[in-house]
Amino acid sequence: MDAIKTDLVVLGAGPGGYAAAFYAADKGKKVILIEQDTRLGGVCLNRGCIPSKALLHAAQLISEARESTHCGVTFGEPKIDLDKMRAWKNSILDKLGAGVASLAGKRGVEVLKGRGYFEDSKKLRVETAEGQKFLTYDKIIVAVGSKSALPKAFDLGNPRIMTSRDALNIPDVPEKLLIVGGGYIGMELGTVYAALGSKIVLVEALPQILAGADPDLVQPVMRYAEKAFQEVRLSTKVSSMATHGKQIKVVCESNGQKKEEFYDRVLVCVGRVPNCNDLGIENTQVTRDEKGFLKVNASQETTDPNILAIGDVAGGVMLAHKAAREARVAVEVVCGESSVFQSITIPAVIFTDPEIAWCGLTETEAKEKGIQVQVAKFPWAASGRALTFDRTDGLTKLLIDPETERLLGVGIVGHGAGELIGEGVLAIEMGATAQDLAAAIHPHPTLSETLMEAAEVFYGHATHTFIRKKSEE
Amino acid sequence: MDVRLPKLGEGADSGVVVNILVKEGDSVQKDQPVLELETEKAVGSIPSSAAGTVTAVRVKVGEKISAGQVIFSIAESADDAGHFVEAAVPAARRTRPLIPVNPAAGTAAATSKTIPGFPPPASPSVRKMARDLGIDLTRVSGSGHGGRIMLEDVRAHIEKLQAMADGGAGATETAPRPVERIDFSQWGPIYMKPLTPLRQTIARRLSDSWRTVPRVTQFDEADITTLNELRKKYAKAYESKGARLTLTSFALKAVVATLKKHPLFNASLDEAAGEIVFKEYYHLGVAVDTEHGLIVPVLRNADKKSLFELSKELEELAARARDRKVTAEDLKGGTFTISNQGGIGSGPFTPILNTPEVAILGIGRGALKPVVRDGKIEARLMMPLGLSYDHRVIDGGSAARFMVDLVAAFEQFKEADAKI
Repeated sequence: MDAIKTDLVVLGAGPGGYAAAFYAADKGKKVILIEQDTRLGGVCLNRGCIPSKALLHAAQLISEARESTHCGVTFGEPKIDLDKMRAWKNSILDKLGAGVASLAGKRGVEVLKGRGYFEDSKKLRVETAEGQKFLTYDKIIVAVGSKSALPKAFDLGNPRIMTSRDALNIPDVPEKLLIVGGGYIGMELGTVYAALGSKIVLVEALPQILAGADPDLVQPVMRYAEKAFQEVRLSTKVSSMATHGKQIKVVCESNGQKKEEFYDRVLVCVGRVPNCNDLGIENTQVTRDEKGFLKVNASQETTDPNILAIGDVAGGVMLAHKAAREARVAVEVVCGESSVFQSITIPAVIFTDPEIAWCGLTETEAKEKGIQVQVAKFPWAASGRALTFDRTDGLTKLLIDPETERLLGVGIVGHGAGELIGEGVLAIEMGATAQDLAAAIHPHPTLSETLMEAAEVFYGHATHTFIRKKSEE
Repeated sequence: MDVRLPKLGEGADSGVVVNILVKEGDSVQKDQPVLELETEKAVGSIPSSAAGTVTAVRVKVGEKISAGQVIFSIAESADDAGHFVEAAVPAARRTRPLIPVNPAAGTAAATSKTIPGFPPPASPSVRKMARDLGIDLTRVSGSGHGGRIMLEDVRAHIEKLQAMADGGAGATETAPRPVERIDFSQWGPIYMKPLTPLRQTIARRLSDSWRTVPRVTQFDEADITTLNELRKKYAKAYESKGARLTLTSFALKAVVATLKKHPLFNASLDEAAGEIVFKEYYHLGVAVDTEHGLIVPVLRNADKKSLFELSKELEELAARARDRKVTAEDLKGGTFTISNQGGIGSGPFTPILNTPEVAILGIGRGALKPVVRDGKIEARLMMPLGLSYDHRVIDGGSAARFMVDLVAAFEQFKEADAKI
C-alpha cells in the first residue's frame, strides 16, 4: 500500500494538537491531523475542562439559589433533571467539536480518524474505519495527551469506581460518594456532586488539599468543602477497595488507624498518566523519562530528529494552555525558526467554589527557593464589588521583589479568580512592577481593582484598606 | 573533554575570537556563552556544549579559528542531566548571531537583578528579539521602572557593543581618531535614528576600503543606441519567459567579455604573500539598493551563463536582497562589482572598491546627447561609465585599455548573444 506523504503529521487533536495543526497550516504546511475520538478537542473538550465547567455552572446556579434568601430572593428546592443536564452539557461539546472540525476544514487540514502507531521514525500506521493507512512526513508532532490514573488496587472492573471521565457523564447522583484525591479534579467534581446532593467524603494523602496552591488561598475553599462535604480527611490513604453488592467497601487509613466504610460510588482522582503505550514509541529514537513522559528540549524536540512532542505527553504541568503554547513553539521549530518555550509563567486556575488562580511565583515556592519577596494582600471584604454579589471570601495577593518592585507572582482566591488572573500573567510576562499595576486605572466597581489596590498596599497607601505604618516610617 | 567550535551556520566556517568569556578554573554551564566570534557577516556568542570546569583555554583573542577546532578543555561535571537535549538540537541553531562584547563590557556587572526562574524584566517580544539576536539580556541595563528593559535599551546596547567592536577589532590599523561629539541641537531641532547593524557593517567595510586602497576612477561614455534597440527588441521575449532584460544584464555580459581580455581586473592583491591572485572564475557582485541599505550579492560563474540566464538570476538575486533573504554565502567570493545607478536616473559617479576586489564599474543614466558621427551631429544615447581601480595593482594605461574594450563591448554587442 502506498504511503500518504505530507509535510507534517499531528498525532492527537486536543488543544495542543489542533492548535499545532492549524498554526502549521496557517504557515503554509500540508498537515494531516489524526484523532481516534469521534469528536475533536481531546480530553479538554470531551472529558476535561469544558464539560466540568458546564457542570460547575449548573452547580453554581443551585448553590446561589440556596444562598439568596438573605438578599430577599427565595426559590423553592431546585428540581434536577439529570438527562437534561447531560444533554445540555453534551450540546456544548458537540458545538465546540464541530467548531474545531470546521476550522480544520477551512484551513485545509486533513483530519484522519483513527489510531496512530509508529512503524518507525518516518512512518506512521493509522488504523481507520476503512482499514490501515500509512503516512510519511517531514516531521510529526505527538500530542496524544494523558488519561486519569487508576491504580491497580482500585481497578476492580466495577463501574461504581469512576475516574473523572466517567464522573463527568453523571451516571447518577450517588447518595454516598467517596472522592480519592483532593487535587483540582477531585475538588471540582466534588463541588458538582455536592451541589447535586451527594454526601461526599474526600480523602487526601497530603496534609492539604489542592497541593501547589498557597495555604492562604486554599483556606476559603477548605471552609467551603468542610461545609458542603460530609467530611474532608487529610493525611489519609485508601488502603483497599472491594465490591460489596451494590456498594464499594473501602478501607481508609490515617494515623495508623483503619476505618471500613461503604459507598455507592467512588471517584478516583489521583493524577494522570501519559498516553504513550501502544503507540510504537519503541520503534523510534524517542526516549521517555522515569514517569513515562516523552523527553523533550525547550524547542519541543524529542530525541528523535523527526519527532516533536507537546502537551501532557511531554510532561510538565498538564494544562491545555501550556499545550497550546508548546504547539506554537513546535510549529515554529518545524518551520525552521529558532523558537523555544520561554514563557515565564503558566497560570493555574482551580474552578472550585470559590475559584483559586495564580501565576508566577507562589509564597511556598519563594520560601523553598529562598527568594526574598514582599507579599501585598488585599482582602475582598474591602472590595465594594465583592460585597454587591455577596462573596467577600476572596483575597488578591501580589509577590513583589522588594528591591526592584518587580511583580513576581499573583495569587487570587475568590469568585471569578480565573478571569482575573490574566492581568497578572500579562504583568509578569511584561516585567511589570507594582507601580505599573498601581498606576494603571482599573474600572470601578470591578474585582480587577483588587490587583491595583494590592499594589497600593505594597506602597502603603491603598484607598480601601488601612495599613498601619511601619515603625521606622 | 575538548569543547570544539560548532559549525556556525549561514555558511560561515571560521572567525576571529573577539572575546573569551571564561578562564581556567571557571565552571561553565552547558549553553553558557564562552566565546565571542566575529565572522564576516556578524559576531556570535559560542555556547559551551558541555558543563564542567575549564581546564585549559585553547584559543587567544584575535586568533582566527575554524569549525571543529578545539576551543577549550573541560573536566566534565557529574551533573550531566539533559545531555540528550544538546544532541537533539542542531548545532547551527545553537550559534547565535551577536554583536560582540569586549572584555571591558564582559566584566561589567549584570545590570538587572537576577531572580531564580525569572528572566530579566522585559516584555515577551523584547525577550524573543534578544534571543533571536543572541543578546544576553542580563547584560542590558533597563531604563524602565525596576530596571525593566525596553526595546530602546536593547538598541542602545547593540550600538554600544558595536562601537566597542569597531574600536577593538582592527588592532593592526591605526585606530581612527575618536570624533568629537557635537550637540547639533544648539543650532536647531534635530532627531536621531540608530544605526542598523547592516549600516554599521557597510560603514566599517567601506572605511576599510577607503583607508587601504589608493583608488583612481577612469571615466568614459558608451554609445548604447544600438544596444537599447536590441534591448527593446528582445524585452518581450524575455518577459514572456519570466525575465526582465535590463541594461545591467547587458553590462554583466560586456564586463565578463572585457575581464577575460584583462585578467588583472579579476584579481586580488595578497600583500602578505607578495602576490597577485588571478581568478579563473567570474563571480560578479551587483550592488542592490535596498530600503535597509546597500547589499552586494554575487552572481556566480557569469561567464558560463547566457544573457537570459543572467537576467533571470539577477532579478531573483536582487529580489532576495531586497527581502533580506540573501545568505552570507550569497555575499562572498565576488571578483568584480557592478553598480548601476542608471535606473535611479543619475551618474556618472566614482564607485568605491568592494575589497578585496581590485576594480568596480559604476554605470550612470544613459541620455541622448549630440554626438559627431561621420562629420554630422547626431542624437545618440550615451551612457556614462566610471571604472574605479586599485592603483597598487592596476596602472592607468591598463585601465584606459580596459575601458576602451568595455565601451566596445557595449557598442558592438552581438545580437546572437541576446537571442534566447
